Amino acid sequence: MTAFIVFLSLIILGALLALLRILLGPTLSDRVAALDIMNVIITGVIVLFALIEENALFLDIALVYAALSFLETVVVARYLEGKK
Amino acid sequence: MSVISFIIGIVLVVSAIIAIEAKKLITSVVMLSLASLLAVVSFVLLKAPDVAITEASVGAGLTTAIFLLTLKRLGRRESE
Repeated sequence: MTAFIVFLSLIILGALLALLRILLGPTLSDRVAALDIMNVIITGVIVLFALIEENALFLDIALVYAALSFLETVVVARYLEGKK
Repeated sequence: MSVISFIIGIVLVVSAIIAIEAKKLITSVVMLSLASLLAVVSFVLLKAPDVAITEASVGAGLTTAIFLLTLKRLGRRESE
């Protein structure tokens, strides 16, 4: 149980720093990079939650979300490429 | 777990308000994506995996992609 508390506190620290950069970020590139970091962290949170609950159905969510967040980042990158 | 749900709910509401009130449209799209991401976590914490799968596929993938392709097609008419 101590391991879970250490994992959760580290994940919450990383998520809060990424969230601060998303909310404050001056340019769009900062926001998009922080959003990508946040996607990876959230995927890890869902996998950890599947481990805590011992329910394999949550792993499907992590799989679908990881694939689609990659698609989202690629689309934003294409938009930024066409801008300048 | 309830403290984490509380924090996630507050950040979800704040990001939704920023998505409505932002000056640039692209910032609105990014904030909408953040709100969708936090909604997925909220559904997972509420133990509703099927709703979370649907929200992840529609909210994170489809909506952001369609909005960004529309913004790219609109092009110069968006004020900087």
